[in-house]
Amino acid sequence: MNVDAQLMEHMMNPKNYGTLERSDAQGIGKNPENGEKVVIYLRVGTDEDQPYIDDIAFQAIGCTTTVVAGSMLTEEAKGLNFNGVRNLIEATMKLLERLPPEDAACSEMVALALGAAIDTYEKRLDDSDYPVITYKIVNSCVPKEENKDEEIK
Amino acid sequence: MKTVMIKTHEAWLEMLMAGFMSRTENKQVLFDFSDILFRHFTWLENELIELGESYSYDRDTIPVKVERLSDLLNNIIKRLNEIDLQLLSSPDKALDARIASDLHYMKEVLKDMKDEVITAFNTERKFPGLELTQEATDALTLFLFEETYKEYELIMIYNYLKAHSNDAYMNRIFQILIDESFFHLKSFGDMGAKMGILAVPRVVMKELYQVEDVVQFLKDGIDEELAAKEECKKLSEAVSKDSPELAKFFDFINHQENYHISLMTDALEHYTKDKNA
Repeated sequence: MNVDAQLMEHMMNPKNYGTLERSDAQGIGKNPENGEKVVIYLRVGTDEDQPYIDDIAFQAIGCTTTVVAGSMLTEEAKGLNFNGVRNLIEATMKLLERLPPEDAACSEMVALALGAAIDTYEKRLDDSDYPVITYKIVNSCVPKEENKDEEIK
Repeated sequence: MKTVMIKTHEAWLEMLMAGFMSRTENKQVLFDFSDILFRHFTWLENELIELGESYSYDRDTIPVKVERLSDLLNNIIKRLNEIDLQLLSSPDKALDARIASDLHYMKEVLKDMKDEVITAFNTERKFPGLELTQEATDALTLFLFEETYKEYELIMIYNYLKAHSNDAYMNRIFQILIDESFFHLKSFGDMGAKMGILAVPRVVMKELYQVEDVVQFLKDGIDEELAAKEECKKLSEAVSKDSPELAKFFDFINHQENYHISLMTDALEHYTKDKNA
């Protein structure tokens, strides 16, 4: 990771890190390879029948890159309606192939947690006991060369 | 009691951060005070366990970015005053009196502490007396962020395990691991402050310290220590050209991980034996 001023700010002062005192939904993004995960907490508002993210927080079991990705993505998601959030997730997923594998896995985990949180919210409109949704990432944290070595062994 | 424990947790970290920021004789005093506050935290935790009250290590974000040390010391004094007030409603009067006595002394010392200009947040990322390449600087920056948090996380995990264990053998191991992690946390925090990138470690998620499977935790921990050794080795190689001194420090940390691996292996053996008996 190249460290620039913007990244430094997110590393030193991650935005929206923690939990919400009152949340309407949670979502989890998980890396099945190593157990790392991101949990997103949402407080949802309604504006002209369109739900939007009134407040958002996240926690992570993961590396600094995951925390930076969580800080950036939650900042961008705050205030967006659900259509906007889905566009943001789609745009993030499209960016992944341009990132190094370990960074892609971290960003994917955050994007999936965000998607899981809004999906959980929508499911709970019909069933208030609907469990928190977890999505698993497909990108690997381990660079391809290392994966290849493991396969050969 | 829960609130007092949370406030004490915050005061401990705030005092520790002040220790990292200081570049004068204040540093050791602040470190000693932070150690005392950590011990208060464990006393209060033990009290909650005895009372059968549930608790967590959740806490608020602690703002520490200041230009002068006195600004942070004033915030710490305010926090200590809050703790002092809340102790009044606590059930163990003897413990509260002991803690209050420490707090009163600390406040007096902090009030008279010589002020300092703080450079721990200037993000210059220059290690004093050292010219590192951009690549080595980036690697060192990421290492310090990862490991400062990791050491804090380990302190919280081992502390929780120790608080909930009556096994003297395991508790000896947990205590050594806590002490080792404190040394590393202080080393990395100091380096972060010198490079102008000091930050308070983030809150540790409950499921990390409320360990359900201790055997798996120890196995994973040994793997993580082995990975940390590799990181130290890489970093040592990255900085060796520019600073043999810094490279030696990372080699030292690398070899220190052998203690942790040995302790965790002993703990794993003891725990497995105990479970199978």
